[in-house]
Amino acid sequence: MSVPFLTLLLPPLLAAAGALVLPPRRRAAGALHAALGLVPLLAALRLAALVLDGWTPTWGPTDLFRVDALSALLAGCVTFVAALVALLGPGFGREEHYTPSQVRRFRVFASLFAFTMLVAVTANNVGVMWIAIEATTIASAVIVPLTVSKASVEASWKYILIGSVGIALAFVGTVLGYFDFVTLVGRREYALNWTVLMANARVLHPPVIELAFVFILIGYGTKAGLAPMHTWLPDAHSEAPSALSAMMSGVLLAVALYAIVRWRAVVNAAVGPVFSDRLLIGLGLLSLGIAALSLVIQRQYKRLLAYSSIEHTGLMCLGLALGPLGVFAAMLHLVNHMLAKSMMFFLSGRILDRYGSPEISRVSGLLRVMPWTGGLFAAGMIALLGLPPFGMFLSKFTLVRAGFAGGQGWLMAAVLALLAVAFVSLLAHLNRMLYGAAPTGVRQGEGGGWGVVPLVACAAALVVLGLAVPAPVMELLERIVEIAGR
Amino acid sequence: MSPHLVSQLSVGGATLVLLAGLMMLWRRGVEAHIKAFTAQSVALAATTAMVGWFAGDWQLWAVAALLLLIKGIGIPILLQRMARRFGTERELEPYVNTATSLLVGGLLVLLAYVVTKPLVSVSQLPTRTGMPLAMGLVFVSLFVIISRKKALTQVLGFLMLENGIALLAVLGAHGIPIIVEIGVFLDVLLGFIVMQVFVYQIHETFESIDVEQLNRLRE
Repeated sequence: MSVPFLTLLLPPLLAAAGALVLPPRRRAAGALHAALGLVPLLAALRLAALVLDGWTPTWGPTDLFRVDALSALLAGCVTFVAALVALLGPGFGREEHYTPSQVRRFRVFASLFAFTMLVAVTANNVGVMWIAIEATTIASAVIVPLTVSKASVEASWKYILIGSVGIALAFVGTVLGYFDFVTLVGRREYALNWTVLMANARVLHPPVIELAFVFILIGYGTKAGLAPMHTWLPDAHSEAPSALSAMMSGVLLAVALYAIVRWRAVVNAAVGPVFSDRLLIGLGLLSLGIAALSLVIQRQYKRLLAYSSIEHTGLMCLGLALGPLGVFAAMLHLVNHMLAKSMMFFLSGRILDRYGSPEISRVSGLLRVMPWTGGLFAAGMIALLGLPPFGMFLSKFTLVRAGFAGGQGWLMAAVLALLAVAFVSLLAHLNRMLYGAAPTGVRQGEGGGWGVVPLVACAAALVVLGLAVPAPVMELLERIVEIAGR
Repeated sequence: MSPHLVSQLSVGGATLVLLAGLMMLWRRGVEAHIKAFTAQSVALAATTAMVGWFAGDWQLWAVAALLLLIKGIGIPILLQRMARRFGTERELEPYVNTATSLLVGGLLVLLAYVVTKPLVSVSQLPTRTGMPLAMGLVFVSLFVIISRKKALTQVLGFLMLENGIALLAVLGAHGIPIIVEIGVFLDVLLGFIVMQVFVYQIHETFESIDVEQLNRLRE
């Protein structure tokens, strides 16, 4: 079973080492980097296929790594965005302004960032998962100020401080969970294994495990961008290089949410779902509310996308609390959000390169200046709004249906009202950017060569997910519901 | 060692660790803060070694040695170097004054006693009596991070928070599995190094390490 794991985890490390020693501007170095980015995606698909065949691949002493349906889905998402970043990140763009040393630094740390996320979602041991998620903060924070400015330095400081403190609180929760296990069962090397925790969940002390979950939810919730711990997110996502924003928004939030889902399954097995559901609904609704209202007043398009990430994470968080159908919808939404948001951040990087300004008011006539980028940007925004034919329509609709079916009518009414606020403000901002006369001095014509092709593929995938969820994905999601649905 | 003695030593060790954390609230100078952190790390290492002796666990001895090496010696040396660079910058009047800070600190320790009540009641280990103090340090460190204005002071608050969690793990569960422990050490060290780079970067960009100036990104 070691081959799929090695092909999943080793290439990012090789890519980091390669970027460190090879001259970054050489085409061969770039091609090698892109190729190494693609291998883990294939490994993740292989692991998903094994899971669908009924296997649960494990690897390492005391089954250190283990891939079930939930891990396979997340590994697929992470490797997909990481491959996009290896293909479209600094070093490849035609209009970019990065120096060779910046390209090198980005490639090294973006690869390590991908590696840490992959370890986080495949580790069986919740302690190792914690270590990996803490390491994601370190690896990604280093390249937030790739271009040093007052704003990027400020953003990176807020990110590493709030992120590290949040993750430290998640560690308090992890220690408390281990403490409870040790008190009952005794000291074991494998006690932090997720499978062992699950098997013993029924005997855990309710007050202790509830306290542990509060710490875990606040801790990983900080990384997931849940309000009121979200304050670092709009700064970091808007100031980071766009390829990094794509990784942070597309999958880092999902990885943090994954940690919450794992622990929630333990807590629910110990004390029933009511406790965690209440907390998730509270944080989810607050995030959705703060994000929807903040969207109205945004002046920069990358900040707009960042607040939209908070909105969608809040929505996923709510979905988790709405029973098996809600969990299904939340996980489907996670995939849709990964596709839409990584595409949108890459597009906003192209827009930023061309217009030279992050302000919405400075961008106009986008459809005429860059027809492909503009068209895809519009499509992505419409997807984020939850309109057909894109995947998010389906996942949002399912989520709301799960809420009504679960007797949460009032909650769903509030959710729909907040979604309407977000809808109107996003549409207004989009209009301002797409139409009108282009500012003088902005070059016309798409440019950038084939760079737009992978993004078209993202949009196409969103349409496919909007028309009908493909059978393998559907089966994977159903297995996730069995693991985490109650 | 009798369990009674271990229990008393646990409380004694945890008290020292917590007191060093409270020093952050009533002293202003960076030098004093670094000394407090160093003393805290040494006290934490000693407590860990004591628990290791009681439990007959060589892994805890290794953890104690790592604590002493990394947090008692290594990180303080790096901190001193930063202090020499920014030493002329005194901690400004914090958002909360000293008297109120100490009062809040006391209340946070009380809160820790309330929060950890279920923990102490389910555990049978003699070391459990120090757990409320460890949780108290976690809360006090959080308060230091949000109420102080210097980036360097915030870093110290974060390091103390990590110490609080390490103490909680040692007293509550006689340490976490060694593989996780080593990973945590690595993370703390790398995280600290990156934070240190950022503090230098803040100093270069803003010509001060006062985080009040970090207010460009708003809305």
